[in-house]
Amino acid sequence: MKTLLRLIFPALLAVSAHADSASDLAAKLGAIQQNGASVVRLKMEVQGAGKSTLQLQIKQRRSSSSTEVVYQVLWPKDRAGESVLLRKTGDQSATGAIFIPPNTVRTLDSSQMKDSLLGSDLTYDDVVENFFLWKEQAVVGTEVVNRVSCDILESKPGRGQRSNYGSVRTWVDRRRDVPLRVEKYSSSGKLVRRIETTRVVTNDNKQAVPANLTVTGPRQGSVTELNGSSIKHDVSFSDREFAPTGFMEVSAGRSAGN
Amino acid sequence: MNFLTIVVRGLLRRPVRTGLTLVGISIGIAAVVALVGISHGFEASWATGMKVRGTDIVVSNMGNALAPKPFSAEVRDRIGKLPEVAAACSIYADLTSVEDASMMVVSAREWGGFSWQNLKLISGRMPNDGMEDAVVLGQTAAEMLKKKIGDPLQLETKELKVVGIVDGGAMVENGSVILSLELFQKITGNEDRINVIDIRAAPGMSEEAVKQLCDKINAIAPEAKAMVAGEHLGNSQAFRFISAMSWGTSLLAVIVGVLGVMNTMLMTVFERKQEMCILLAIGWKPSRIIRMILWESALLGFLGGIVGVIIGTISVKVLEQLPAIHGMLEPDFNGGLMAVAVVLAVVVGVISGLYPAWRSSRLTPSLAMQG
Repeated sequence: MKTLLRLIFPALLAVSAHADSASDLAAKLGAIQQNGASVVRLKMEVQGAGKSTLQLQIKQRRSSSSTEVVYQVLWPKDRAGESVLLRKTGDQSATGAIFIPPNTVRTLDSSQMKDSLLGSDLTYDDVVENFFLWKEQAVVGTEVVNRVSCDILESKPGRGQRSNYGSVRTWVDRRRDVPLRVEKYSSSGKLVRRIETTRVVTNDNKQAVPANLTVTGPRQGSVTELNGSSIKHDVSFSDREFAPTGFMEVSAGRSAGN
Repeated sequence: MNFLTIVVRGLLRRPVRTGLTLVGISIGIAAVVALVGISHGFEASWATGMKVRGTDIVVSNMGNALAPKPFSAEVRDRIGKLPEVAAACSIYADLTSVEDASMMVVSAREWGGFSWQNLKLISGRMPNDGMEDAVVLGQTAAEMLKKKIGDPLQLETKELKVVGIVDGGAMVENGSVILSLELFQKITGNEDRINVIDIRAAPGMSEEAVKQLCDKINAIAPEAKAMVAGEHLGNSQAFRFISAMSWGTSLLAVIVGVLGVMNTMLMTVFERKQEMCILLAIGWKPSRIIRMILWESALLGFLGGIVGVIIGTISVKVLEQLPAIHGMLEPDFNGGLMAVAVVLAVVVGVISGLYPAWRSSRLTPSLAMQG
């Protein structure tokens, strides 16, 4: 039957195979991103008019249906303890809260998700939105990035899925299943944000992950560099750590086995 | 005029071309000296670090990451029971960014373990106990982090106090942030996890006996691998990759040098065709012409080697002074490396001269009359 179809509708089959591979690829990348509880330590440098460096701890609980993330500033001392809590469930809009020591807590509603994350070129939405889970996925070409041949995956929000972006293109190294470049476009097709990586490492789950990210956004002359120091999976968190009452406390993530 | 004078004069006929070829081969050899010297120096520094700590055997799990993989702290107790083990010290060594420094060695050592003993206080004091919120910094680490005694230091989620600055006797030790293992485990949430065990063998054990002890440890602790101190870094895939990259890059530079010398020598053969034919006419054998070409190319290689060694050494010394790198390099420019570089340059010279020499051997005296 398949042979017959191939003879009659070769072009149709090719398109169908491409569409399948795009959704498979997106599902695979989406699953890698929504990979349970983990703690990440990284250094974030924002270079614009001036230069600011932050040491951050990221606690995250990601499942196929929900994402909870806490960004906490560890250093410098004058910003230590500053925290951002973000939540997203299914296709609903993300919400969150900001804590600025000693005791300022501000809630973030969905309209504020376009705001800058801790002064960087990323928005709150960039942190919680998993565009690999959007309904429309297509491989639109191939290109070599840093001498690595990549498939270009285009993701678009489907019906009922809301985003500040009209589409997102991801250059995926298929050998390691790791994105090397992400470009986010507005609904009018204008490039809004570019995220690139030059260093890929194998994490504690033996999964290839970007170890650094360079983010350029709409702010003229501003660049954000994120350099990962460590990542720990299978971490046990209490619910309190992802609640407005608890995310103000900076504590290390404990391995589930400990 | 003797044979050597003819060889030298052959090279001096076109001094600019000879000079440029010399520069080409020198750069290749300089790359060999600089990259391999840095890579050897790093390995030697680790070995020195182990030696000054009095470590005979290192038990770790060096995979393809720069820092070893963690394993259970209970492994130390298992190893410590062996009669050939005089002392064991648990360590958690990590490579991480600290404050605004990109990557630093954080060395968390079992409180009271022998790996603290080699640290010589330059200023301040050692931590009072294993749970005091305190760190000591190697002198290079203190310079890099711009810290002095009493300053705070943010490590992971905890603010610690710099209580001492130490000389660890080796580059790796001096570039480290050093603290108690128990404190580090607590602040990183890695209780009961370590990634290195330093072992001191019982006094009087021969090298062979130490190797046998490694086998014994490997049998009772399959979670990690015991290796004689100094050899363990070579077991790291990451280090092997860096080393291979050094040699690979050097090889490319040398190939460029080979092509440069070959081009020069070929041009020499073409330009001096008449001269060679006359030499053949007055009784020189073709084998002597071949030797002359090979000597010229070997001399070019030798001079390039000498200049390359000087350029490579100076380049690394200049690199060492750059603020971004200061204190992070401890190149190993030993006599062996210098000799290998010069011999390599001569070999490159001879190989480059083989084809031009073969071309010269096909000349005949009658060609001299053709002009």
